[in-house]
Amino acid sequence: MADAPAIHMHALSKTYASGVRALVDVDLHVERGEVFGYLGPNGAGKSTTIRLLLDLIRPTAGRAEILGRDTRAQTVEARRRVGYVPGDLRLPDRLTGEEQLSSLARLRGAFDPGLRADLVERFQCVLDRPIRELSRGNRQKLGIVQAFMHRPDVLILDEPTGGLDPLNQEEFRKLARETAAEGRTVFLSSHSLEEVQRIADRVGIIRSGRLIDVDSVASLRERSLRRVVIRFATPVDPSAFTGPDGVRVQSVEDATVHLAAPEAAMDGIVKAAARHPVADFVSEPADLEEIFLELYREDDGRG
Amino acid sequence: MGAAELVRRGLVDRTRTLLAWNVGIAAYVALLAATFTSIEGSESFDELVQDYPAALKDLFGLSDVVLTTGAGYMDTELFNIMLPLLVLVLAIGAGSRTLAGEEEAGRLELLLAYPIRRRSAVLAKGLAVALEVALVSLAAFVALAVFDPIVGLELDFERLAGATFALAVLGVLHAWLAIAVGAARPGRGLAIAVPAGLAAAAYLVNGLQDLASWLKPFRFLSSFWWAGQSPLSTGVQYDGCLVLAAAAVVALAAGALLLERRDLQVP
Repeated sequence: MADAPAIHMHALSKTYASGVRALVDVDLHVERGEVFGYLGPNGAGKSTTIRLLLDLIRPTAGRAEILGRDTRAQTVEARRRVGYVPGDLRLPDRLTGEEQLSSLARLRGAFDPGLRADLVERFQCVLDRPIRELSRGNRQKLGIVQAFMHRPDVLILDEPTGGLDPLNQEEFRKLARETAAEGRTVFLSSHSLEEVQRIADRVGIIRSGRLIDVDSVASLRERSLRRVVIRFATPVDPSAFTGPDGVRVQSVEDATVHLAAPEAAMDGIVKAAARHPVADFVSEPADLEEIFLELYREDDGRG
Repeated sequence: MGAAELVRRGLVDRTRTLLAWNVGIAAYVALLAATFTSIEGSESFDELVQDYPAALKDLFGLSDVVLTTGAGYMDTELFNIMLPLLVLVLAIGAGSRTLAGEEEAGRLELLLAYPIRRRSAVLAKGLAVALEVALVSLAAFVALAVFDPIVGLELDFERLAGATFALAVLGVLHAWLAIAVGAARPGRGLAIAVPAGLAAAAYLVNGLQDLASWLKPFRFLSSFWWAGQSPLSTGVQYDGCLVLAAAAVVALAAGALLLERRDLQVP
């Protein structure tokens, strides 16, 4: 058990009473000491997976282990070493941040006062006001502090940066990396490829309840698409951009060309564009659904 | 250790509500005590009541009671309907809120992700709600004990204590029923409707059984029949209270097991 993986799912499946197959036969291994990004669009099954891990809902088939403890049979032991931030964090309105954190510490029966003070300081948590007066971001910070304050071995975080401003998001990324560097594990869900790329070592991609890919961030980045919009001074022939490097022309309106291109092709695009007078050039990450459509066209056909 | 925190939180969160309830009940008792002085010994008032139709007297528990005595007056005005009603409102409200309400509001998710067993959580919440009910029942007891010598109610203290106990047991039973229903199925509406409906039916069955004899066989299902009527005038049914207490324990235990079996509902 000492060397059991942080999280292990065996054919984990969940079909809700409504008949919705929220999760289908997911096998996943998350090692200790890694930051694992669980990526998928809304409704893909991310929260379902996480709630199964925490035994909040029960699998219809398969099982899961956290640090070698079965999430059903050894539910309390499994959860003892886990810190959790729900995707939709709801806290009692009337308690202050201080009261809330103290109460949760007593509920767990263990926490590290020095670590808590440190976390509160890092995220500049508001502790003296009732939670109903706090902004979404300030509530989310309390959620993060309560998950980390007992120094758990495994952190299971459902869209943890939701509502955080960029400064706090960066602080959170630092915290996650430090945590992994200590040999502890961070499992976090996100619908933003951009965010996951910045924080995770490996990424699992889930779509319609199926885990369709597990990959390192580095290789995912090579394959990931960007949406490029180039506005020229005069209309140009868009075929100049397509080539063997995976660039697709999505649309052309007057002198504006919309492309979908992997990062590796950017150099070629810029050089091709430079042959014409350019009025504007925008390159942004394609949203996840687009990436899925591009990367997993064949999967789609089968599914 | 974790469960103790749930009990503590259950009570601390409700301090203001409980204070309001206690003050309200004490004030109501004070008001009644003040009006008693003008009714005391007024034979015409008693005759008026005794002329009520038997059905009405049964329903409101006026049959075995002499209204113009302190015990009879407080039985009629407090223990036969008003206090049970108030305590049931508090108990069913609290019992449905602590589990079904918290689940509906999405606040149970984080708590149950902590290393605490669901059945411990149910038992802890049950204990907190029972303490709430006991506290409010106690407020009625204290208020009556205080006003007794002032306005000369001449209550039997052992009966007063027993009546308070019966009241609390009735409340706890319905609070734990609300918890059990909330544990069996998500949703606060049902957790209110089932115990409230049962209480209303139990009250009617008990009140009307002499009038409508076909109701007689069902009196064993009536919590009010077991709790007894007019406890200050006729004595407290302790054995009935034990039956109610046993039913309450069964309800809470069932709730503890039922919550273990199902998916938590998330908003």
